[in-house]
Amino acid sequence: MITNRKRLSSGLSVTSKVFVRSRNGNALKIVREHYLRNDIPCYSHACHKCQEIVKPDAQGQLPKFILSSSPTKTKDGVSHYVVIDTNIILHAIDLLENTQCFYDVIVPQTVLEEVRNRSFPIYQRLRNLVKSEDKRFVVFHNEYNEATYVNREKGQSINDRNDHAIRKVASWFNSHLNTENSPTPIHIIFICNDVDNCTKAKQEGIDARSLVDYIDSLPNGEDLRDLIPSDIVLPGNFEGDQNETVFPEYYSNARIMAGIKNGTLYQGMLNISSYNYLQGTVSVPAFKKPLLIIGSKNLNRAFNSDSVIVELLPKDKWKEPSSTIIEEGSIGADDNAGDDEDDLGEETGGVVSDKERVFLAQEAMKATSSKTNESRLQPTAKIVGVVRRSWRYYVGQIAPSSVSEETGHSSRSCFVILMDKLLPKVRIRTRKAKEYLGQRIVIVVDSWPSNSRYPNGHFVRTLGEIESAEAETEALLLEHDVEYRPFSKNVLDCLPKEGDNWVVPDMTDPQDPQLKKRVDLRDRLVCSIDPPGCVDIDDALHARVLPNGNYEVGVHIADVTHFVKPNTALDQEGASRGTSVYLVDKRIDMLPMLLGTNLCSLKPFVDRFAFSVIWELDENANILKVDYMKSVIKSRQAFSYEQAQLRIDDPTQTDELTNSMRVLLKLSKKLKQGRMDAGALNLASPEVKVHMDSETSDPQEVEIKKLLETNSLVEEFMLFANISVARKIYDSYPQTAMLRRHAPPPATNFETLNDMLNVRKNGMSISLESSKALADSLDRIVDPNDPYFNTLIRIMSTRCMMAAEYFPSGSYGYPEFRHYGLAVDIYTHFTSPIRRYCDVVVHRQLAGAIGYENLDLSHRDKQRMEMIVKNINKRHRNAQFAGRSSIEYYVGQVMRNNEAEHEGYVIKCFNNGIVVLVPKFGVEGLIKLETMGDLATANYNEDKYELTFTDLKGAQRTVAMFDKVTVDVKSVKDEVSGKRRAQLMLR
Amino acid sequence: MELYSPEGLRIDGRRWNELRRFECKINTHPHSADGSSYVEQGNTKIICMVRGPMEPAMKSQVNATSSTVEVNVSLANFSTFERKKRSKTDKRITELKTTLERTFNECIMGHLYPRTLISVTVQVLAQDGGLLAAMTNAVTLALIDAGIAMYDYVSGVNAGLYDQTSALLDLNTLEENDMCSLTIGVIGKSEKLALVVLEDKLPLDRLESVLAIAIAGSHRIRELMDMEVRKHGNMRLAKVSV
Repeated sequence: MITNRKRLSSGLSVTSKVFVRSRNGNALKIVREHYLRNDIPCYSHACHKCQEIVKPDAQGQLPKFILSSSPTKTKDGVSHYVVIDTNIILHAIDLLENTQCFYDVIVPQTVLEEVRNRSFPIYQRLRNLVKSEDKRFVVFHNEYNEATYVNREKGQSINDRNDHAIRKVASWFNSHLNTENSPTPIHIIFICNDVDNCTKAKQEGIDARSLVDYIDSLPNGEDLRDLIPSDIVLPGNFEGDQNETVFPEYYSNARIMAGIKNGTLYQGMLNISSYNYLQGTVSVPAFKKPLLIIGSKNLNRAFNSDSVIVELLPKDKWKEPSSTIIEEGSIGADDNAGDDEDDLGEETGGVVSDKERVFLAQEAMKATSSKTNESRLQPTAKIVGVVRRSWRYYVGQIAPSSVSEETGHSSRSCFVILMDKLLPKVRIRTRKAKEYLGQRIVIVVDSWPSNSRYPNGHFVRTLGEIESAEAETEALLLEHDVEYRPFSKNVLDCLPKEGDNWVVPDMTDPQDPQLKKRVDLRDRLVCSIDPPGCVDIDDALHARVLPNGNYEVGVHIADVTHFVKPNTALDQEGASRGTSVYLVDKRIDMLPMLLGTNLCSLKPFVDRFAFSVIWELDENANILKVDYMKSVIKSRQAFSYEQAQLRIDDPTQTDELTNSMRVLLKLSKKLKQGRMDAGALNLASPEVKVHMDSETSDPQEVEIKKLLETNSLVEEFMLFANISVARKIYDSYPQTAMLRRHAPPPATNFETLNDMLNVRKNGMSISLESSKALADSLDRIVDPNDPYFNTLIRIMSTRCMMAAEYFPSGSYGYPEFRHYGLAVDIYTHFTSPIRRYCDVVVHRQLAGAIGYENLDLSHRDKQRMEMIVKNINKRHRNAQFAGRSSIEYYVGQVMRNNEAEHEGYVIKCFNNGIVVLVPKFGVEGLIKLETMGDLATANYNEDKYELTFTDLKGAQRTVAMFDKVTVDVKSVKDEVSGKRRAQLMLR
Repeated sequence: MELYSPEGLRIDGRRWNELRRFECKINTHPHSADGSSYVEQGNTKIICMVRGPMEPAMKSQVNATSSTVEVNVSLANFSTFERKKRSKTDKRITELKTTLERTFNECIMGHLYPRTLISVTVQVLAQDGGLLAAMTNAVTLALIDAGIAMYDYVSGVNAGLYDQTSALLDLNTLEENDMCSLTIGVIGKSEKLALVVLEDKLPLDRLESVLAIAIAGSHRIRELMDMEVRKHGNMRLAKVSV
């Protein structure tokens, strides 16, 4: 209710008064002031008036005019601006972000606020569009503008009032630009999918169009049509006239709230089992064991890693986790995506297809026949609501079987099988299904109605041929949410103007502000040791003997924060990327090339800025003194690990640099010994390296990574520096220091592994009391006949460990800072600021701690630090996964050319198959029972982890956990998912 | 809702350096008090009444060299968006009272009124942010109306820091709840502060920009109050000369 309008010197004021009933029946009085003004510009270059009325903001910046004076044209050559309605943004944000359409868009404030209330992520994407300016989006604050503010009339609903306000924006722009000022007419098109709103707009003389009509009117409309989300094109067309509910409906919000409050419902993150896509687990704090969710009806349309609400099933339905492998490829691949009449008959049968039913029956039989120990039973649950969808862009390809042969021009449904095999396939409509066959495509999921067996989505773009290196690389970057686009212009603008010609200023000039407080260390014999071919050198070392017999050792880290100042676009980009991503053939940088490989990189023979940690160490590598300083250094040599090793080992080399490297090596061994004594873990992962042909860049062979003494030399000193720095910044910033911790693994993680060891290897076990005990017990687990066995167990233990994580020091107590794997009480990452954002923050904090410069506020604020940490933890994980899948892909390519038999180890046993790890390639693969022998005679002894079956030649055979087996390795392309993977066959 | 949009507009449509609507009247209750005033700063509405200088009721309030200022604050139950009863000994009220007493003890020429009591009653009718600032303004006006000698106007306003970067002037409740803010009282046209209250954390290197905008705002409020006082004075003068 508007009470009065009053003119003030600065504008108009409206006081609005709203009464809302509160929950307990009392009236709440909400009174808000609302100021209307006449100095909000239209942001159009075509306008002559608005330039005069603009006012600066709190930073003294005048608003920029964004909208072009010669905007894009429709098919008929009409240059136009676009005003969009809320529902368009909510449903077609991908289309708005597309670079082929939607330029010069006006977003009314009313729309922006509606979007914000409905979906915050979409709001943020919209805000980013506005901020980046390249698509010329503007937010027009119509609610604060005298000319466009509308009153809510009596009896008018809030939605009608908002629609009216949005229409008013369109008509205001029309009259403001065309009748009042601009020389060239600019058409205003109002896009809205609400029929009622469209009609009203037309009555008011506004050119209102639906999204489809608008896209059709564009010159490239044909190409864009497929990108329109399915629920906008023809709402409800997927369902046909089938009304039967396939999935149970989700509970209402009120019921969920009440359920969570009284403890009958639980909230958690869904984790789909990687061996069985019909089985998931949800970890809930209320239960010790995760809740099992079995079958698609119980999974109820949830995707992997959705945040879901679950309800417990009665105790008689509690089950053991299935020991059967089910992959989606094998089930339902032949379903028809169409919505034809004959298809309905099948679909009404319910969620469970025939094949699936067979599996479930087998499961049920097993459950009833083997009344094993009760303790293995796990509580089961069903999903009754989804709090937050994890939907994002998905990469997949069209299932060939779902594309009909007809060559019509109308759009048809087809299935897209996603690369992530934990996810169901998605139905999309497209007219070009045939063209997209055999290509990797990007899609988005729009909805999953309860009466549809599959989620509905729409096509976004194509990446290229399946198995072409570019498409596969891009696909895996997208799948792991890695930002790989080139750096934008405003990021690159933050770099020094001199570019590659930037040099360290003359040290003899004491007036230079860049050199104040910097220490000149160019006389030290600094060198760097890195992998061969490394271009982003972020660390270098030096050592020398002091007159008193002690050693001075220095670690010098590239001074990235000299170039990356807080709160610049460059800093924000780095913070959001979080880390560089290393793929086999490609590196996705966190910071632009210029910094990473030149200005920051501690290249030899030139002066560079560095952040140095300098210790005075005694003969036993005990710290006597430690200093931190920003410095200028000059590296004498950039070694590779091998070169450095050769030089140290060569007794004829006696120059100072070599001697200092020998000192470093000697001290590093002491440091390592100290760490090992404290109980640092030496874990293993099956790491391999792919060699590429230098000419064709085809992968040629796979090699397991070798470690030299010099590797550990560098590693030890980096750890040493990280620890020292961690102590220093924790000292200065007890609440917000950026640290890294590694929690001890919970005993339950090792339960199965220990049980397997106990059964299969006569009572061997892994002790978990401390990291020291764990390290020692790992050393004891050796099979005299098989040297690799120890490594195998190390690999398997690594998988039972917790992941290390970054955290601000305020979020844990000091005892919990401990890094379990390294066996130190406090740790951080300081040594690779070129490729990790954590290190950038640590550099700034250390610079603040030593009084070099003031620490930026964002690194002093606990909440901001929490946000940074959350992001870099996620990015770090994604980068690791992306790196691994890249290796996996290339290993697959290598194996394509060399098929052979290799040794492998059984690392998992199921009742219908085994998983074998082949150390030579670092790959693991599933061998299904049907490829090994007779299904019917197979018997799986769960207590002994043994699978007995009659093999194809008719002989009785037993395979058990940890067995060394010989397998045929070859690489096959999975026709359904288009993914090449190792296929193993038991010999 | 965005507290401060990238386009430079605040949640109620103001820009960063704009005051809310400021309206004031003096001599609103000529019969019940020696001096009275009514101040509206946005939706914050306050009545203030001053009695005195008078003889203190209690011996303890007697100061041989100067006057004693006693402030009583009462917040109406309906002043916030939810009806709520507050006890008289509410900590927040006591704090407001003490702050005001200290501020005005300094600004009144107390040595002119030894052994007297100046009793100030502040009644808050509606709260929408900037409570202490509006109270300061109301008390100043009421004291002037009562003819009590002061060194100069004390004009108050609050200012906050949004997102650690943008200083915003004259916050309303919504803004006050979500950012760190300080309240100042400026003496006359000078840059001397009779009152600074900062209850949250404010980064030291941003303090200057926040203070600068708050002082500018206070000067504007002083002008508005001065206009009202002069208008009222002229009106009375006209009555006397007739």
